[in-house]
Amino acid sequence: MTLSIIDWLIMLVYFAFVLGIGFALKRFMRTSNDFFLAGRSIPAWVCGLAFISANLGAQEVIGMGASGAKYGINTSHFYWIGAIPAMIFVGIFMMPFYYGSKARSVPEYLRMRFDEKTRAVNAFSFAIMTVLSSGISMYAMALLIQTLGLFHGIIPDQYIFHVSVFLSAIIVLAYIFLGGLTSAIYNEVLQFFLIVAGFAPLVWIGLRNVGGWQGIKHTLPASMTHSWRGMAHANTNTLGVEWIGLSMGLGFVLSFGYWCTDFLVIQRAMAADSEVSARRVPLIAAIPKMFFPFLVILPGLIAVSISSKVITPEQKILSAPTSAAGAISAPSSTVAPSAVAASSASSSEALDNSHPHGIVPLKTNPLNGQPVTDSKGNPVYNYDLAIPVLLLYYFPTGILGLGLTALLASFMSGMAGNVTAFNTVWTYDIYQAYINKRATDAHYLWMGRMATIGGILLSIAAAYAATSFNNIMDALQLVFSFVNAPLFATFLLGMFWKRTTGHAAFTGLLSGTAAALIHHGLSLPVDAAPGIHGGWITPLHYYASDMAQNFWTAIFAFSVNLLVTIAVSLVTRPRQDHELVGLVYSLTPKPIENHLSWYQKPSTLAYVVLAMLVVLNLVFA
Amino acid sequence: MGLDIRIPLGLIFLIIGGIMTVFGFVTRHSGIYERSLDVNLNLGWGLVMFLFGLTMYLVGRRQKWQDDPVNPRPWEKRARN
Repeated sequence: MTLSIIDWLIMLVYFAFVLGIGFALKRFMRTSNDFFLAGRSIPAWVCGLAFISANLGAQEVIGMGASGAKYGINTSHFYWIGAIPAMIFVGIFMMPFYYGSKARSVPEYLRMRFDEKTRAVNAFSFAIMTVLSSGISMYAMALLIQTLGLFHGIIPDQYIFHVSVFLSAIIVLAYIFLGGLTSAIYNEVLQFFLIVAGFAPLVWIGLRNVGGWQGIKHTLPASMTHSWRGMAHANTNTLGVEWIGLSMGLGFVLSFGYWCTDFLVIQRAMAADSEVSARRVPLIAAIPKMFFPFLVILPGLIAVSISSKVITPEQKILSAPTSAAGAISAPSSTVAPSAVAASSASSSEALDNSHPHGIVPLKTNPLNGQPVTDSKGNPVYNYDLAIPVLLLYYFPTGILGLGLTALLASFMSGMAGNVTAFNTVWTYDIYQAYINKRATDAHYLWMGRMATIGGILLSIAAAYAATSFNNIMDALQLVFSFVNAPLFATFLLGMFWKRTTGHAAFTGLLSGTAAALIHHGLSLPVDAAPGIHGGWITPLHYYASDMAQNFWTAIFAFSVNLLVTIAVSLVTRPRQDHELVGLVYSLTPKPIENHLSWYQKPSTLAYVVLAMLVVLNLVFA
Repeated sequence: MGLDIRIPLGLIFLIIGGIMTVFGFVTRHSGIYERSLDVNLNLGWGLVMFLFGLTMYLVGRRQKWQDDPVNPRPWEKRARN
């Protein structure tokens, strides 16, 4: 791929602004409060956009595009079921405790509500997790730059990966080091608008090419263009999940566990300028979030709709100036919706053979350039490239620079979100709590900056670990999903049942994680071998897909945590009521909203968001 | 914070949109748009971005949401509501 000077210029402008914002904000960073909490002075709409942008990292954009290409529009469940309800809940019910308690982080809230050991579990697991996620983001970005050949001809090929890792690390480091959370939030807003500006014309031109949504429906099997069809049973939809697993596992346990307890996103809302603003943050964020499937999932569907022709890497789709005008989609003759429905055992393979691949390239081994095949000798498609390939397919010089900027922006926002969450938890919940309790504020500000450097260095290490031990990273992510799965039960009981005790929360969390581990050891997706995919104790139960297994692991972890926490609470001594004011629902005065007009109240916004959500689900049912 | 985000946001869209508009205008009969179904995406979308940037910049210049947030803090100024 060759980029012209215009493309480089656009990317350069972006990077100049990213760093410029850091420098412009440096003089406002006077206290640790400014650095870690943005001085609690950011308006709701800015925090709201940062709230979704921090989550809109590499895994999101690339992964959702890939799932769109692979599974179809039902990937939107990750937004409509897996995010919006939880975002409404955290805004309306939980934010008053996070913001009102004046806790500076989520682990700190746990210390105020429960005790030191519960905070420690959450703080340490969260800190390690953020560093690893940021490293994985960095790794994915460098790999993509290498695959696309962005620096091809400028830097020798073998250095591209290293240069990409270090360049992204230095840029993210610089702007967070200088401007702290404010800088990260401002850049996330910038990234949000750039992602929209870069992807909206892509979707528009793509839809024009494939004949709009009707054209996609015509080309692809019906199971890919309906989000609820076939959800009654795991074998009749492309995700391999039935509706109970989907709504309880994804829609309740996993999504509430993430959006309501993960400090990465909560931190953005805690930076808001008042409690009412903080409550509005997730609700404002929910509105664009709802429409993101059209920006990140739809390109995946467009990419597979373009034509059913299999394009191999040898045909150089990445570099050839293909005439898109000539590629008006022809309905695929191999489309057989019933094939998907009929395939019970090997759902993923049947899926691969029965739906068109459009311009999605084959997966190649990065070491020898040979196409990768699965155990049966069938070619494997690299769905992760669906969005990048689509950009190169449609965008001429100029707007191509904008599209690539949008892609890079999404990687940076994912990294920066993790790094700012890490430096706060490290400084307040680990360093101040266990290492140096009585230092000056200036010292903690300095520590925050050092933690930023440390976090970035650890991310680089994680990125390199991912290159050499791919399985270890998978295993670590799995372990963290076990740590996260039961989390929401602890917060739910902590905030809404005053009887819940610290000992109970701690035991509940640990037993929830243990339950997740055991469930994983006893169950297995049908097409996987025992090992990292589960069944390492003995496979007692088989799931139709690893997604279903994942959702049910979360359901078990949550339920066990809930039951154990209730049981232990009943036999341990609860705290006095007066100690829990501002931390528990029944003991906290309700937020006073008399001075707000009806349309300013967070609940009005929540109803609007809910109504829009219902409409969207009906349209794409 | 003392910097209104709408100013840098407006500026970046003004510059990128401006670059794209000018480039799109210069290359309006060029063959590079075969790729995008003969739609001059640079000119059209560049103009949209330019106008968005202009709006953001002007709004950001007109209303500063806070003068100096550092002292006193919002929650120190008035009782929590």
